[in-house]
Amino acid sequence: MKINKPLTVLTTVAIVCGAILSMPAFAQKDTKLSDAEIASVAVTANQIDINYAKIAKEKSKNVEVLKFAKTMTDDHTAIINQAVALVTKLKVTPKDNAVSKQLLSDAEKTKKMLRSKSAKTFDKAYIDNEVAVHKAVIGTVESLLIPQSQNAELKKLLQDVVPALKAHLAHAEMVQKMFAKK
Amino acid sequence: MSNIFPILKNGIYLVCFTFLLSGCASSPEKTTHKAYTVEIMQMKFQPAELMVQKEDTVVWINRDIVAHDVTEQPGKLWTSGPLASGESWSVVVAESADYYCSIHVVMKGKLIVQ
Repeated sequence: MKINKPLTVLTTVAIVCGAILSMPAFAQKDTKLSDAEIASVAVTANQIDINYAKIAKEKSKNVEVLKFAKTMTDDHTAIINQAVALVTKLKVTPKDNAVSKQLLSDAEKTKKMLRSKSAKTFDKAYIDNEVAVHKAVIGTVESLLIPQSQNAELKKLLQDVVPALKAHLAHAEMVQKMFAKK
Repeated sequence: MSNIFPILKNGIYLVCFTFLLSGCASSPEKTTHKAYTVEIMQMKFQPAELMVQKEDTVVWINRDIVAHDVTEQPGKLWTSGPLASGESWSVVVAESADYYCSIHVVMKGKLIVQ
């Protein structure tokens, strides 16, 4: 029975994160989130990027793309583990919300788009999406999640995650430039 | 009593001889190698540039949530391998080197031997 709690947390967070990732402009001004909803959004966004990386591993043969996808899997898994540990410690039950539902819904569309790409066009589509997603997530974390989080530990975790997201963005943009030269 | 003086005299010679020997042994400058710490924090090597002497030791400690490594660039002549959060790795510096994190390729650092 204990296993259900983390799974519920992950699922909830994955939904929210997905929404944020695929809808950059969604979570703006009027959105008010509780800590439970913020935790959910954070985990969801990370899980969605892991799911994109899984598709990349299935479809790509490009060394740089595969390397980037592995980093996304490893880093976002580490972040989720931290988030789940914190949520468990704080006894917070992540809560679904409009943002999380939208994230998941949009992530499904993005996954379909990525799966529909040919081997030739997949790599660019994946990296372009990663650049867009990370820009959106950084904006959402900095302008919505951090300011609205009430718990100090949750706020600090979100602040600690931002440099990783920015490094991911810089890495994705570097790979993107390589495709532009070809 | 008269027997004491030769012993005392010999003893003084011995002390002087030992003192001279130790003085000779320490006369070349002793090289003390230092140890430096580079923290891997907020997806950066801190400090990113480090001035060291040859054979100083540099320790990298990963303070981030995610794993990092420390890899010589461009030849990958040495690498720490993946360092999980909280893990550390050290190297005795032989020469100046550029290095980076091969997991997060935008993270770069430099060792400068003076």
